[in-house]
Amino acid sequence: MDLSQYAELFLAESREHLSACNQLLLEWERHPASPEPVGGIFRAVHTIKGMAATMGYGRVADLAHRMENLLDHLRRGGKSPGEDTLQLLFRATDALEKAVGLAVAGRERELDVAAILADLDRAGAKEPTAPAAASPPPAAASFAAPSGSGRLVSVTIRPEAPLKGGRATLIVRKVQSLGVIQRMQPAAAAFESDDFDGQFVFELDSAADARDIEVAIRSMGDVERVTVGDEEEHVTPAESVAAGGGGSGGAAGAGGGRTRHIRVDLRRLDTLMDLIGELVTERGRLNELAARWVGQDPVIDEVAIQISRLSADLQNEIIQARMTPVWQVFDRFPRLVRDVARQLGKQVAFRVEGKEIELDREILDELGDPLVHLLRNAVDHGIEPPAERKRAKKDAEGAIVLTAVRERSSVAISIADDGRGIDRSRILAKAKREGIVGPHVESLSDDQLLRVLARPGFSTAEAVTALSGRGVGIDVAMTRIRALGGSIEIRTEPGKGTTFVLRLPVTLAIVRALIAAVGLERYALPLTYVAETVELGTTPMTKMEGREAMVLRDRVVPLIDLRELLGTNGGSPPPPPRRPVIVLEMGERRAGIVVDGMLSQQEIVVKGFDAPQGTLPVFSGATIMGDGVPALILDAAGLV
Amino acid sequence: MSHTVLVCDDAIFMRTMITDILAQAGFEVVGEAETGSQAVEKYRQLKPDLVTMDIVMPDMGGIDAVREIVKQDPDAKILMCSAMGQQALVVEAIQAGAKDFVVKPFQPSRVLEAVQRVLG
Repeated sequence: MDLSQYAELFLAESREHLSACNQLLLEWERHPASPEPVGGIFRAVHTIKGMAATMGYGRVADLAHRMENLLDHLRRGGKSPGEDTLQLLFRATDALEKAVGLAVAGRERELDVAAILADLDRAGAKEPTAPAAASPPPAAASFAAPSGSGRLVSVTIRPEAPLKGGRATLIVRKVQSLGVIQRMQPAAAAFESDDFDGQFVFELDSAADARDIEVAIRSMGDVERVTVGDEEEHVTPAESVAAGGGGSGGAAGAGGGRTRHIRVDLRRLDTLMDLIGELVTERGRLNELAARWVGQDPVIDEVAIQISRLSADLQNEIIQARMTPVWQVFDRFPRLVRDVARQLGKQVAFRVEGKEIELDREILDELGDPLVHLLRNAVDHGIEPPAERKRAKKDAEGAIVLTAVRERSSVAISIADDGRGIDRSRILAKAKREGIVGPHVESLSDDQLLRVLARPGFSTAEAVTALSGRGVGIDVAMTRIRALGGSIEIRTEPGKGTTFVLRLPVTLAIVRALIAAVGLERYALPLTYVAETVELGTTPMTKMEGREAMVLRDRVVPLIDLRELLGTNGGSPPPPPRRPVIVLEMGERRAGIVVDGMLSQQEIVVKGFDAPQGTLPVFSGATIMGDGVPALILDAAGLV
Repeated sequence: MSHTVLVCDDAIFMRTMITDILAQAGFEVVGEAETGSQAVEKYRQLKPDLVTMDIVMPDMGGIDAVREIVKQDPDAKILMCSAMGQQALVVEAIQAGAKDFVVKPFQPSRVLEAVQRVLG
């Protein structure tokens, strides 16, 4: 049987169980007296063991088996685990995770688990053995009856058969349907032991023919030898028939209890998404053609509308299918925060909210690393050591909350700590020294602060400790988030804490966009960040930090003229007299983008794009328009 | 008419594999259960010809599920799916009324042999 087809399923499910192990270990660490976690961990490890053995991953199964032994002792012992034991289980879980990964990659031989196995065995040996499982269940046979009348039956189970005691029990039950078993050697209780060698003898009082008795015993499977009375065995082993008849079984039908979920390889979904992307592009072309031909044959319009509707439905379905709840990535963070806090001698209560919020799988996968950066920073630089917190009259235990919230067509993910916050004056001084802000600037807004912090390497200089090293990794995180079409915001208050908010589109592949004209070119602006559009000149104009701005309902909105920013081709017509302004909004920030005209609102398929050196950092990708001509997608985060 | 099967295991991996083995041999897997209590409930609903039952499951374990099912239907045909080292549990399951057992890692031929014995 080809097992490779199950490898991915094995990996995916093992990871879920490992994640559960980590969660439960954390819970156990917090509530050592609680009996629930150890049972759950035991089950998770046990499941991994069974799966790994089935896949033929002997070393993974062995590691899981040794963990299971220790857990079984702990579970039966019912005592709170010691600190050492918990640490060992954390380490073993890590080792098992690594082992699973290596095994699936075909590199199980590289696995070195000797040390952890030794530790597990040593710890297992220290745990008191469980009180013998409450008196063995009543044996199937009765021993007290006098002997003499029955025939002696001796059975040998095949040496290679697993769990011979189980097989023997089945045989005994079968034989009991034929008569009464008198004495048995060894006693039935021995069947529960792993030492049982598969041979047993009993006396049977039965009217049945010796041959029938033998057939009945052999019918239980795995029997090597049977003798009844003085007769030698004469029955050839019953060849088992492998398959039942009727090849049509398993067809999908109306079974009420049929499961409603299947697992699909993510790459399939990606391919499907690509194909639908192309379909959407072609649909656009069809619509344009239909508009041209509708005079000749009105039916073409009907067909085009139908196709539009169907492909829109299809697209929706596939986007839904790609949606993944954030817990799939968030679930590993409690362990991460705990480990970092331990290393640094901090006390942190970590909480996750909005676990069920969904994001496109691709975005979620990309989000992991930036979040790790930000969480590490929060523990390392945000949360103060317990003594410092006490001095500041704060709870010795700091709090970090990771929250996901759905906002219209984006998801906001925030990481909030109640630590020391960022000292703006220090950052300002440093920013001035490095010429990042002008010498006359008196304070930094949150936005400016973030921009300063996100400069690559900004805080890695001598000021790391002084300004709490907030810049480390922020540039990396920011680049990633921006590449996903998202944004980062920061809010910080000295002594109260710091919050980062990441905003991300719900899906990457297809976005609704406003198509704007500038000169002879067309540009796409994702609607996610479009707040409204107004006509230039219909609102009062003003200046803001030397830039053109307009006043929109009492708020000053800086203006960016795309003609000026991007330049226009030589043959471009002059700007029209009435130019639209597209107001982009990202968190608290706004900007008005002045274009020449607005052409349409449509769904565009986002294609990645490698900007040549020197390209303005205002494009996030490209798309192919209905007529086959490419258009660039403007990056709201780069503009606002 | 192919035999109907209820597959009980808390791991999708195992359910998938057992389902594949049985479906290829012409059985019809009519339901799956992830816990012992689900197994009992689905047995009641589906009345399958055969049940494959994992021993270690959350909520209600496999052995308790066997007891419950046999209480409802003394003729229930239940095949235990056990792991190495579960000798005592397997013995207990058989005493509770399970008709046979297979041991992980599964070999399709052994699973099908056991199924034939149970249905036979």
